[in-house]
Amino acid sequence: MIEQITFGMLASVVILAALGVVLMRKVMHSALCLGLCLAGVAGIFASLGSDFIFGAQILVYVGGIAVLILFVVLLAGQASDLVVRQINEQWLAAVLICMIFLWSFAKIAVQFAGARALTDPAPTTKAIAGLLLGDYAVPFEMTSLILLVSMVGAVIFGRRKVS
Amino acid sequence: MLEYVFILPLLSFAAAGLILAFGKWLPWKGASLGIAVASWGFVQAAMLFFKALQGGLTLPYEVSIPWFNAGFLSATLGVYVDGLTIAMLLVVTTVSLLMQIYSLGYMHGDPRFKRYYAYVALFTASMLGVTISNNMMVFFMCWELVGVCSYLLIGFWFEKASAASAGKKAFITTKLGDLGFLAGLLFLFTLTGTFQISAIMEQAHAGLLLPGAAAIACILLFFGAVGKSAQFPLFIWLPDAMEGPSPVSALIHAATMVAAGVYMVARLYPVYALSTVAMDTVAWTGAITAISAAAMALVCFDLKRVLAFSTISQLGYMMLSLGVGGLTAGMFHLTTHAYFKALLFLAAGSVIHAMHTNDMREMGGLKAKMPVTWITFLLGTLALAGIPPFSGFFSKDEILAAALARNPWLYFIGAATAAMTAFYMARAFVMTFHGEPRDAHKFDHAHESPLVMTGPLMFLAFLSLVSGWALARHELFEKLVSFEGVLPFGLAEVSKLKVEVSSALLAAVSMLFGAWLYKSRPDIPAAFRKKFSFFADMLDARYGLDAFFLAFVALGDRLARLLVKLDFDFLDQIAIDGWAWLGLKLSQLQGRFDNAVVDGAVDETGAIAMAGGRLARLAQTGLVQNYLLVVAIALSLFAAITFLI
Amino acid sequence: MTLEHYLALSAILFAIGLFGVLTRRNIIGILMSVELMLNAANINFAAFNRFLHFDAAVGNTSVIFIITLAAAEVVVGLALVMAIYKNLHTVYVEKYNILKG
Repeated sequence: MIEQITFGMLASVVILAALGVVLMRKVMHSALCLGLCLAGVAGIFASLGSDFIFGAQILVYVGGIAVLILFVVLLAGQASDLVVRQINEQWLAAVLICMIFLWSFAKIAVQFAGARALTDPAPTTKAIAGLLLGDYAVPFEMTSLILLVSMVGAVIFGRRKVS
Repeated sequence: MLEYVFILPLLSFAAAGLILAFGKWLPWKGASLGIAVASWGFVQAAMLFFKALQGGLTLPYEVSIPWFNAGFLSATLGVYVDGLTIAMLLVVTTVSLLMQIYSLGYMHGDPRFKRYYAYVALFTASMLGVTISNNMMVFFMCWELVGVCSYLLIGFWFEKASAASAGKKAFITTKLGDLGFLAGLLFLFTLTGTFQISAIMEQAHAGLLLPGAAAIACILLFFGAVGKSAQFPLFIWLPDAMEGPSPVSALIHAATMVAAGVYMVARLYPVYALSTVAMDTVAWTGAITAISAAAMALVCFDLKRVLAFSTISQLGYMMLSLGVGGLTAGMFHLTTHAYFKALLFLAAGSVIHAMHTNDMREMGGLKAKMPVTWITFLLGTLALAGIPPFSGFFSKDEILAAALARNPWLYFIGAATAAMTAFYMARAFVMTFHGEPRDAHKFDHAHESPLVMTGPLMFLAFLSLVSGWALARHELFEKLVSFEGVLPFGLAEVSKLKVEVSSALLAAVSMLFGAWLYKSRPDIPAAFRKKFSFFADMLDARYGLDAFFLAFVALGDRLARLLVKLDFDFLDQIAIDGWAWLGLKLSQLQGRFDNAVVDGAVDETGAIAMAGGRLARLAQTGLVQNYLLVVAIALSLFAAITFLI
Repeated sequence: MTLEHYLALSAILFAIGLFGVLTRRNIIGILMSVELMLNAANINFAAFNRFLHFDAAVGNTSVIFIITLAAAEVVVGLALVMAIYKNLHTVYVEKYNILKG
């Protein structure tokens, strides 16, 4: 019972915030909604019993990415945002495509009907750490490489041209 | 002896070739070889003749080798000898030998002496081939060869334009006749199915040929004889043929070639005798020829030409005789005529050789200067006129008797011709040998001919004297040549004695009248000629026959010129200009095609590429969301398809 | 809660994110929509890990990776956005048509 209510509240937060992200007129509001949505997703993780990724989501996504987007919005935002429409003219096609995607996903999801959780949620940190440093060691190292590269890239892109 | 008959022509052919090739190194420049061959031939023919007269030969004699067998046509190559053949052989070899001896003197110093003897040998060979062949194909081949030799010999002095054209005229006119001969020969082949003479005669005797068909074949064949034997209207070549040397005239136009036509009719006599139409054609053609030629001789001033017309006239006599059923008479006359006509020609040649002119108006009084020639010419004239006991009398009388038996009109024509013959021969004789010399310069240079020329004259004169009387006696000639078949018409009874007496008288009177007229009163003929100049001119122009045939030739020339013009101006224009125009038009078309279609294709391809590019460029909006949309659409399509199926 | 709920949730979130990517005129808006889509995938991974593969933590590990990579991507993306903004002085994507043609 509690579980369902919790899920329902978290799901509605997520969806509404997502709608806010895509439909809000002001980018500032979209960014803030994004933050809310990401937090809601963290809650979903928690309801799934994935404790580590709940924490990681909050730290990285909400604390890092959403804040970063907010900074950029503040830097590049414009006063004309209020009066200008934010949805471009291909919204109808996009709607149709989303419908088709939903319908096909539904068809896939039906196959998993009646799958129930058979065990209680367990702490996952150890397991994740074991995998990261065991089976997925190479992707782990690659990821760090990617992070390095992206940092270097960001520095290059943000550089002032030497005149 | 009969077995060696086939050698005669072959030997002459060989002699002709050898004289041409090696004549330079042979004695007398090859003449010796020719005379030797001719003498051997003469001896053989004479022996055969006498043996046949005695009845010591089995005739007809035929020997042959197979030639070819082509299913429907098979032919053998060989000889066929009967009395007719033997008579002809004697004539040909005698005259050939004598004129070759005569030519030693006449043609002495001629630059083409060797070639002359080669041609004469070739001619003799072909004439012998005509005489003895047993096969009409070989007969025709040798007939044609005789024509070729006559062309070569008539046009022997071809530097003279008139001689060259005379040779051509002779050949072409006889060739015209040969058209008919060939047609008749082929027609005869379709009737009888064979070319062998013995087979044809057998079929004719057995009555296997229809008279009408036989008539057509015979008349066509006779056409060849009309050409070769100078009958009316194809005699036009004979007067002009006098351009050749006199011995050639003696051989060809007295004795042999012109007699070939008569020989042909005589050889195929059983076929001719099947049809009245054929016989009448022969007879009347002969009669017309005889009298028209005699008329032309009356006004002629060229000595040799008079003799030429006389030959035509006598040939007409022979044809007349054959046409009324007198085969024996005709061949007898051929034999006697050969001798005295050859004599006359050789004697005329002697006169011309001495006087260097043919025109009788420049002669006269030659009796004193050329006695041998004078006496021999006189004997020849008497023989030709038909005065007994010369040979001409006997033969001509038989012809007149036969003509009278068939049709009195033919007899009258023949008698009139005989009278004219005697008259114009007397005229020629008197104008040449008697009276005052009309050209003193030429007369001074005249001299008697050497023995090599007068020898043959004397021999021929002897023959003219005796051959008639000798052969008519005991009907010797009739034993040799006679026709045992049935004539297609009936013959009346005639009194031979009456015919003989009347013709002898007629000839004598005409001759004396002519001699007196031209000796004592030459002005009368001149006045007569002036009064009747129309007839005189017509006779001089030979009844306009020359002009008639020439018109055909001119027509052919006009036609040829028209065709040439047509070709050059019309066909060539189409063929050449037309092709050029066509080429131009085609290339223009191709140019336009190239510009419009090919270049257009290239240009259009580029244009299409550019248009395609312009079209494709529409998708390059530069907006990322558009691209994303396309990707999303594609994905959704895949999804739809996957989940629909 | 069953797996279908979470799958439905992630589907809807993904669809919303897709809609946003295709329709937002603001470039930062597009980036944010991309984040939504990534999160939807994260939810999927986590749900499958919980319901179907509970003995191993492979799903969670994948989520870790995705989060990391999303972070890296956002860093680079935003740096690019700043660079573009400095040049074109606008954040509206219909102005970014230099590649047009």
